[in-house]
Amino acid sequence: MTGMADVVLVEDRVLELTPAPETRRRMLADVIGHREVLMALARKDFQTRYKRATLGVLWAVAVPVLQAAVMAVVFSKIVRFPATGGYAPFVMVGIVAYTFFSSTITVGSTAIVDNASLTEKVWFPRALLPIVPALSNLVGFGISFLVVVLLLPAFGVPLEPRLLLVVPATLLMVAFTVALSLLLAALHVYFRDVRYLVMAALLVWMYVTPVIYPKDLPNLARYAWVFDLNPLTGVVDLFRLSTIGHAPGWGRSVTITVVATLVLGIVSLEVHRRHDRLFADQL
Amino acid sequence: MMGPAVELVGVTKTYTKLEERAMLLRSLLPFARPKRTPLAALADLDLKVDAGETIGVLGRNGAGKSTLLRVLAGVSRPSSGVMRVRGRVAPLLSVGVGFHPEMSGRENVYINGMLLGLTADEIAERFDEIVEFAELEQFIDTPVKFYSSGMFMRLGFSVAVHVDPQVLLVDEVLAVGDLAFQLKCFDRMRELKDAGTTIVIVSHSMHAIRLLCPRAILLNHGRLELDGDVEEVIARHHDLLSQHDDHDPHEHSGEGYAGGVDVVERELLGPEGPTRQLRRGVPVTLRCRLRFDRRIDSPLVHFTVLAEDRTVVYQMRSVLNHEHRRYDAGEEATVDIRFTPQLGGGSFRFMVQVTSVDGRDVLYRETTGMLVYVPPPLGTAGVADLDATITLDGTVLTDYPDITL
Repeated sequence: MTGMADVVLVEDRVLELTPAPETRRRMLADVIGHREVLMALARKDFQTRYKRATLGVLWAVAVPVLQAAVMAVVFSKIVRFPATGGYAPFVMVGIVAYTFFSSTITVGSTAIVDNASLTEKVWFPRALLPIVPALSNLVGFGISFLVVVLLLPAFGVPLEPRLLLVVPATLLMVAFTVALSLLLAALHVYFRDVRYLVMAALLVWMYVTPVIYPKDLPNLARYAWVFDLNPLTGVVDLFRLSTIGHAPGWGRSVTITVVATLVLGIVSLEVHRRHDRLFADQL
Repeated sequence: MMGPAVELVGVTKTYTKLEERAMLLRSLLPFARPKRTPLAALADLDLKVDAGETIGVLGRNGAGKSTLLRVLAGVSRPSSGVMRVRGRVAPLLSVGVGFHPEMSGRENVYINGMLLGLTADEIAERFDEIVEFAELEQFIDTPVKFYSSGMFMRLGFSVAVHVDPQVLLVDEVLAVGDLAFQLKCFDRMRELKDAGTTIVIVSHSMHAIRLLCPRAILLNHGRLELDGDVEEVIARHHDLLSQHDDHDPHEHSGEGYAGGVDVVERELLGPEGPTRQLRRGVPVTLRCRLRFDRRIDSPLVHFTVLAEDRTVVYQMRSVLNHEHRRYDAGEEATVDIRFTPQLGGGSFRFMVQVTSVDGRDVLYRETTGMLVYVPPPLGTAGVADLDATITLDGTVLTDYPDITL
């Protein structure tokens, strides 16, 4: 048994690099071993983002809430979308979730290139970099979401135990966002077009996701399954289910999101495992 | 059982140089893939550095020094071969890499320390020592963007040397900072060395390498050219540099030629003929063969000796005029500059310049000059050799220990 302990010790202290990518076990150990770094980077990211603004983190809340308010006025008073439980709560929940996704993907997809100076001389798993904005944006999301929840009773939506579904909803949202960020960030190292493709895609993505209009609009109901193929639909549905208690067909959309997240996550991690110590050559 | 601290076996690192910018679409289409040319930055490198050893890495720009450091730091993996490093590696970052400008020195120390492998508690333990060493007690809570480059570097160095690395990688940073801090760095590196830290230093400053490394390696086009005693390696490095000079098409004409006079031939002659090594007190002659392109009256010839950092060590000039002889276009003349070198150790550049008599028109100018290497006299450092002796109660001392600053 002592022999085994020795092996572990040696393995732990020796960095051995060959042309082969790391083993999956080693990669997992590396990522877990750097969790303190991850938290420190996320803290730093959060602090520096709002450090110079007088209102600080309030901006992370003010922008989506303002956007939701504008949407609520425009689409319930002017265009008049019918939404069960009132349009304002419906759109607020959608916007807050989508804002987390889009702001995280924007930063996350370019994180490896943008932080090149950080990893030029010291190695840590580059997979940490796209995860950082997801963690730091979680604070702003949490506060915005809390504001929305507190406003719900004012719109006649009672707070019920189903609100606990917020936990799996948030986990699913973060997992999907991180999985996609990881893949895009790796691609961006090789193809700098990714930054612009992402900007364009996010513009469209909001409108193909039932964020500001319900997917059960009479003239859309037939295409509900098309919406459900979009993994973000499941995220938004789960948040609506937990708050306003109404998300038709959420079973299918959430299942699709879970499967998509798992597949994307495995592919992303594999890409990182194979390319981690090669990224540096492209930066 | 401990092996060497650093071990490279047949390490090759090839970069793929894309002929054109990688484009997403073109890479997806098999028939339109951009051309790829492999570029070997390191070629079949074998190297062993024992624990506690300090080794210098020399080589011209592009010889593979930075690539070697990247592989050692684990940032980049080899294309073939195996690299092993035992223990914690702390790369001494070139000024402030990894520092976030908006954050205070304190916050940056924590982030940096963690990136180098310490836990928050371990950093807290060493925090005061790090700040004291960097001499930044008053500014530690100031955002580092307000730091001077010297302060930046001091903090970076201080963190790196306080994480108790088993392997310290030093990349050309010793040139920054004031002299007092440089001395402190040297001292600290010696302490680490005595404590058993393995140090790999990449520097263009032979002075720094000579002071710290008994052993050095020389890289040339990614290959290991020489691995051995530091003086031997420095001498070989100079040979390579001067060979490079000789192959430089700009050396004798072109760049040097500024209109009017060209130096068509130039050599350094010792007592036994052409040489590139100088010895103290042995006179040498720098012989230049000038060709005049047009009629020029009494030009001035300037002879300058520059040290490694391009400070002027010596300069003299003379009017080229003997018995009112004028030189017509196409005529040639031999100019001998004879002198007795009293130079300290290091590399020097001998530059020749020809101007009009009032110095206003430059007729011939060199930018690189002739590179000459002088082995350091025992027990000395500096650009000049004053041939000092130290006596103790009247007895001349001849016991020279390791060169110290």
